[in-house]
Amino acid sequence: MIKSYKLRRNLANALIYVILAVLGLIWISPLLWMVLHSFRAEGGSAVQYLIPETYSFKNYISLFTDTSQLDYPRWFLNTLVVAIFACIISTLSVLMVSYSFSRLRFKARRPLINVGMILGMFPGFMTMIAIYYLLKAMNLTQTLPALVICYSAGAGLGYQISKGFFDTIPRAMDEAATIDGATKNQIFWKIILPMSKPIVVYTVLTSFIGPWTDFILVRIIMGDNRANYTVSVGLQTMIAQQYIGKYFTRFLAGSTLVAIPITVLFLKMQSYYVEGVTAGGVKG
Amino acid sequence: MKIKRILSLVLAIALMAVVFVGCDTDSTDDSNTSTDAAIEANAKLKVWGPAASLDVLKKQAKAFEEANADKNVKIECVAQEESDAGTQLLNDPTVAADVFGFASDQLTKLNLAKALLPVYTDYEDKIKENHTEAAVQTVKGDFEGQEVLYAFPETDNGYYLVYDKSVVSDEDAKSLEGVLAACKKAGRQFIMDAGNGYYSCMFAFTGGLKLEGLDGEAQDIQKFNNYNEDDVVASMQAFSKLFREYKGTFTPASADKISAGFLTKKKTCGAGIDGTWNAAIDSEALGDDYGVLPLPTININGKDTSIVGMIGYKYIGVNAKSKYPNAAMAFADYLADKDCQKDRFDELGWTPTHKGVEVGESLGTKAMLTEAKTFVVQANIIQQFWDPFANLGTQLYKDGTKNDTKTLKTLLDKTLANVNG
Repeated sequence: MIKSYKLRRNLANALIYVILAVLGLIWISPLLWMVLHSFRAEGGSAVQYLIPETYSFKNYISLFTDTSQLDYPRWFLNTLVVAIFACIISTLSVLMVSYSFSRLRFKARRPLINVGMILGMFPGFMTMIAIYYLLKAMNLTQTLPALVICYSAGAGLGYQISKGFFDTIPRAMDEAATIDGATKNQIFWKIILPMSKPIVVYTVLTSFIGPWTDFILVRIIMGDNRANYTVSVGLQTMIAQQYIGKYFTRFLAGSTLVAIPITVLFLKMQSYYVEGVTAGGVKG
Repeated sequence: MKIKRILSLVLAIALMAVVFVGCDTDSTDDSNTSTDAAIEANAKLKVWGPAASLDVLKKQAKAFEEANADKNVKIECVAQEESDAGTQLLNDPTVAADVFGFASDQLTKLNLAKALLPVYTDYEDKIKENHTEAAVQTVKGDFEGQEVLYAFPETDNGYYLVYDKSVVSDEDAKSLEGVLAACKKAGRQFIMDAGNGYYSCMFAFTGGLKLEGLDGEAQDIQKFNNYNEDDVVASMQAFSKLFREYKGTFTPASADKISAGFLTKKKTCGAGIDGTWNAAIDSEALGDDYGVLPLPTININGKDTSIVGMIGYKYIGVNAKSKYPNAAMAFADYLADKDCQKDRFDELGWTPTHKGVEVGESLGTKAMLTEAKTFVVQANIIQQFWDPFANLGTQLYKDGTKNDTKTLKTLLDKTLANVNG
């Protein structure tokens, strides 16, 4: 038995760090492989060695220049537009629904909360065929607005987390504002929202990533209209049997680029994220 | 309380109604295999072809439009890979293409769904006469008691031996033993997707096993020929022994790894069994050393036997829900005819099924045409065929499994039982 407390602590820490390092390595290795091989100059599909022999930017360049068969820049733009619109609409809707459930008292509040919870338990893809035929009846299949509608229409149901957050903001704030003559609407925009930046950021991120990475819905809705594909479906096309030989490294390059908008969004929002939860709230 | 109950009842009924409205009745069964086939005026057609062939397809569509200028036919060409066309079509036939290219593995599925409009009898004789017999054989079928052709043959779709001539000589490439020995000597791999039913069926087919179409009410029973069990087992054993003897050289991996192995700085692949769809990238990677031959022979009990694999076709089909069936049929016929096949052969390298097209010295085409004479055609195969045969392939090369006659006999029996299990 080791007597020295310091030595024991150091040993324990060393062991923990080794375990964490191994776990970290396992976790990061697929990403690392993807990025490394996206720069691989020798073509062809997956090779049997881990480190590429030669490197170049040509996969990235041809991804954006050779668009006659598979138009990656177009898909990227589609995804960006859809994700931005869906993100704005669903963020607003989620926050408003949460605010109403948290602050307003009305007769159907309880039942509505329950219905929201129960509806949220059905897996989304269960209704996809129905969604397809409804969209078709509205003549919206194979269009980008259809995606925006699908991604943002039901977003309000994901109110639970932000409602929980709003519940922690003291009602005294609302009351004080009401005494000063603020309406419920003004309280939401001017009092609650500025104090809820972390949850706003969280909502923005999740509602952006959803449409950005979705695959099944796009696959069902877009059918043969390649011009309206999003990156996820487009990238999957690249590794179909006919394309994989020529496009595999480009596929990796495309997958790497997919991470950029999310990273930028996160870095931009991060500064708000670290701000105190109810910083500058109720004093005393 | 009462109101609530009534409300929920009304809601439930409304929901049920919505569900049932969804299942609209199918009204495609009016058999119009032989009617007035005049092209409809102002027909608007959508046609699917793989992205690589789109330019050629557009040119051909334009020519067809011009030839039928009096009917004002308009054709839209959309990129859609043949491997996925069947799935896309069945997702929603009403918005799918009127005329589409698809691979033979989807034929059974499309037929079961009655998604294909059988070829009009007016065109049938022309196809039977001009296209290779094997290709025609695969599209023959039974439609409401009548023998019909389900689609127009377009091109061969299959695999052959691809080899690096600097490693494997043309003489070596004639036998599997020669190929493997040459690869081993050069320290290169021989790659084939032996754990995939599409390729691994050759281990049994070489021994004389054959497919003989479908049976049963729902067309879900696979019929096999009256094969000689000992021969089939001997063939499986011969492959298994070779794979074990050349462990390390023989590499079970998907076909796209072959071109990858040719493209690396120090080439890792010497030969492989690759498909027509990778021909362009393989030949580009190997340049002058690009060699293609039909599958080689294998020595079974002292006798060199030609390997028998599976050969598929690509077809041009007409959507049964097309709004302009006559125009679609005429356009499909035009695409399958000699001139269009020649265009595709010249510009895309697609092996023609039309006997009138001169193929010259094209390597892949020659290999495919040779194989077509003996190979089992990939048509009328049930979905459950692939997994048991994939397992059969894996068992033959996997470490630790025995390959004595008794074990292999059991494996064969189990495989065939699982196909129809």
